[in-house]
Amino acid sequence: MRKSLVFALGMAFAVPALAQSFTPTRPVEIVVHTGPGGGADVLARAMAVMMEKEKILPVRVQVTNKPGGGGATAAAFLAEKKGETHMIGIFTGVWLTNPLTSAEAKVSLRDLTPIARLLLEPAVIAVKADAPYKTLNDFVAAAKQKPGELKQSGGSITSRDNVVRQQLQKVSGARWQFISFPGGGERIAALLGGHVQMMVIEPNEAGEHIRAGNMRVLAQVSDSRLPAFPNVPTLKEAGFNVTPVPQVRGVVAPPGIPRENVAYWEDLLKKLTQTESWKKYVADNQFEPAYQTSAELAKFYDEFTAQMRDILQEAGVKTVR
Amino acid sequence: MDIAAGLLQGFAVAAQPANLLWCFVGVLLGTIVGIMPGLGPPATIAMLLPLTFLMDPASAIIMLAGIYYGAKYGGSTTSILLNVPGESASVATCFDGYQMARRGRAGAALGIAAIASFIAGTVGVIGIMLIAPPLARMALAFSSPEYFALMALGLAMVVLLAGRSMVKALLSMLVGLWLAGIGTDLFSQTSRFTFGRMELLSGIDFVVVAIGVFAIGEVLANMEGREAAKALPVPKGLRNLLPTGQDLKDSRFAFANGSLVGFFIGVLPGAGSTIASFISYGLEKAVSRRPQEFGTGVPEGVAAPEAANNAETGGALIPMLTLGIPGSSTTAVLLAALVLWGFKPGPLFIGENPALFWGLVASMYIGNVMLLVLNMPLVPLFAQVLRTPAYVLYPVIIGIAVVGVYSTSGSLFDVWLLAAFGLLGYVMRKLDYPSAPLILGLVLGGALERALRQSLMMSDGSVSILVSRPVSALMLSLALLVLLIPAFGKLNRLRLQAIEK
Amino acid sequence: MRAAKADFWSGLALGGLGVYIIAQAWQWEYLGNDGPGPGFFPVWYGIAMAGLSLALMVSSVRSAHAETIDWSGAGRAFATWAALAVAVALLKVAGFVISFAALTFFIVGVMYRRPLWVGAATAVLAAAVFYAVFALALGVKLP
Repeated sequence: MRKSLVFALGMAFAVPALAQSFTPTRPVEIVVHTGPGGGADVLARAMAVMMEKEKILPVRVQVTNKPGGGGATAAAFLAEKKGETHMIGIFTGVWLTNPLTSAEAKVSLRDLTPIARLLLEPAVIAVKADAPYKTLNDFVAAAKQKPGELKQSGGSITSRDNVVRQQLQKVSGARWQFISFPGGGERIAALLGGHVQMMVIEPNEAGEHIRAGNMRVLAQVSDSRLPAFPNVPTLKEAGFNVTPVPQVRGVVAPPGIPRENVAYWEDLLKKLTQTESWKKYVADNQFEPAYQTSAELAKFYDEFTAQMRDILQEAGVKTVR
Repeated sequence: MDIAAGLLQGFAVAAQPANLLWCFVGVLLGTIVGIMPGLGPPATIAMLLPLTFLMDPASAIIMLAGIYYGAKYGGSTTSILLNVPGESASVATCFDGYQMARRGRAGAALGIAAIASFIAGTVGVIGIMLIAPPLARMALAFSSPEYFALMALGLAMVVLLAGRSMVKALLSMLVGLWLAGIGTDLFSQTSRFTFGRMELLSGIDFVVVAIGVFAIGEVLANMEGREAAKALPVPKGLRNLLPTGQDLKDSRFAFANGSLVGFFIGVLPGAGSTIASFISYGLEKAVSRRPQEFGTGVPEGVAAPEAANNAETGGALIPMLTLGIPGSSTTAVLLAALVLWGFKPGPLFIGENPALFWGLVASMYIGNVMLLVLNMPLVPLFAQVLRTPAYVLYPVIIGIAVVGVYSTSGSLFDVWLLAAFGLLGYVMRKLDYPSAPLILGLVLGGALERALRQSLMMSDGSVSILVSRPVSALMLSLALLVLLIPAFGKLNRLRLQAIEK
Repeated sequence: MRAAKADFWSGLALGGLGVYIIAQAWQWEYLGNDGPGPGFFPVWYGIAMAGLSLALMVSSVRSAHAETIDWSGAGRAFATWAALAVAVALLKVAGFVISFAALTFFIVGVMYRRPLWVGAATAVLAAAVFYAVFALALGVKLP
């Protein structure tokens, strides 16, 4: 008799507790895989400022830098913090491609808890302003005439810069060289100095150079035209039947967290994307808003990695997974 | 805009009491940050970003810039007193600076460092003011072959750092090159020498190696003696507490050399203050009348690298301000800050924001003066640090080293690496392998390899690209010349011997 | 130990490293179709390393170096390093403050043969100062 009473009382308390949603009670950490000033770091800090301004988070936000290993260190760090409810991480495209090419990058997005996709970063194809190419066709045709002679500056061969190149090369039959530079500054310097002929560059990086008249944009790497470039054709419009591989940014969390926690993060981020500050941030930086819930994100992840694997293998890069 | 008019406007902005205050805060913070090994300007600036939103952008950039060049002043302090490089650029200062301290001339060393930093910092600002846009355009002409030649010139300096055994120096440098290659290859994404460890995917951080080999190695070496009070001699008398007139006279060329080398190398995106300080040090030794004394504690051996790393800050700001291209990790954060505040850094930035630009330039003049005034009286104070008994000093050094390394990466693995390199440093000391070439190889190796591969990719495999371009051909010839210096020395000695006979 | 003998062994060790480097680099692409591959550079400096090590070993065998390396103090240095290694191992378990205090205590007490109370006092004081300065004042994370 007593046992069942205790049991019933226990259940009476337990049920409301289960239904109760999660609220953070101590500072939230956002883990990023770059050092201070890097892309993910800047985004995390901007998000922290916005969350405070729009008062959608009751506690402080702290940014934790875990650079190294092309994202592997940050991913492994999150994987270790199983069940930690007050921590999220910003992931970018490298988190998805790194495990494909590096045997040491053991943690993939599937080992963590996907929360939401936030942004897509579009890109544009740019040449020096005094180059003889007025359209993307001009450049590709020139490349076809002199295979292997024209050059493109970019990041590593698994970066989106090279993926665009692989796709374009495949549909056009042209061939041009890809030269890796470790930093955005160096890539731009190589283009402006005339040492390479073309580069794939993010619009917010290129903006000022275009305004100053040093660079010209031939095409945009996105599905639809960006508001800042109403007169520039997309890849498809320029005649190249290529589906742009997106460069994503989103949020993940450590594995093993309760469902209410996931729901809370999803909700918080959704609220964030609806605020004025966020919309302004997206517009200023020329991102594409691309919110997806955790379920959608998981599906996106599977499709994306399959697509990347094919592209990398075609490009001759060794994949380990 | 007319330079004189711009500068006047700039001083009007910079001399406002609020901005003077922020300038002071910046340079003070910078000095403190520079003293701490591991904690560097990029992280500090990033931490202060939320605060800057409440400030006027001019005040904010004045303060952040103050942190940037202030850190270069502070970095020399621990290098000289404890053989712990506070910043990667301060490694070259350790060579002669620490030796001067061992000889009881710590105060003079610190003073020379401060004066060199002041002169070079001012030269850097003058450079920004006068030749920023044309210089930036010239810097664009610098491409991979030139970078390769520059790195080769830097590596050629190894012959000047060799000491007794050239073979050991070269081996040391090769190990440095190997360490530089550990990690993920940029071009092919292949993992090299990572032994399956994820922590090594992005390579070994230079700071870990430098602090391990220098500081921990030094501590271990000192543990050999049984006597407790083996502390460094405390400088006595004004002669040793401050640099003498003779010191300043000896260093005149070093001031010029360091300022120019540092400034021009700083303008190149991708070449930083570490390279600048090494090249300046090597150059100073090459033209010196007493090269064999370098490494034992000569003031110009401190003046040259210190001037170089300060002038470099001025140089690095040029591509950032005139083209919107970050040249170093700190300028990358500053760039991000400008963007966050709503500015658009790029070729049109200076033209559209003259008040901000000139205000910044003027504040840098003021800031350098503030730093000189701040640092000089502190010199005797810092020198007193050496009074600490050895048994307190050495554990503290180890503690600072560990905290410094951990704070940069947050990884225990790096602390293990620190210990490992400490052991290596000690063993190298015992077996008479010079450690400077190791650091040189580590710093330059990555850039050298990248530049070579980029160059060959650009020329479709033809090596002639390296010599067909005038600038790179020039620098490679210089490098060859440097490599032949020891041969000349030997020839000269043989000639003298023959004459004597 | 004579310097020459030490040179021989260190030369051998470095030669071994050189050979290892060449072996690893052989597995990677030496010359890709775009340019030198990841194996290019390591092969060359591996060869240089092996070659120079050989030269060192040869010269050490032939030379009449009368210098000796004083290994007497080395034991103490290695012991200190061992203590450091233990302290680093402890970092994960016990945190910085305790490990550092322990290391300081060891150095003061054992290495410098100061009375134990001095060691303890120094250890506690130093650890406290570190904590105060770094963790509290600067907000730097300690292991």
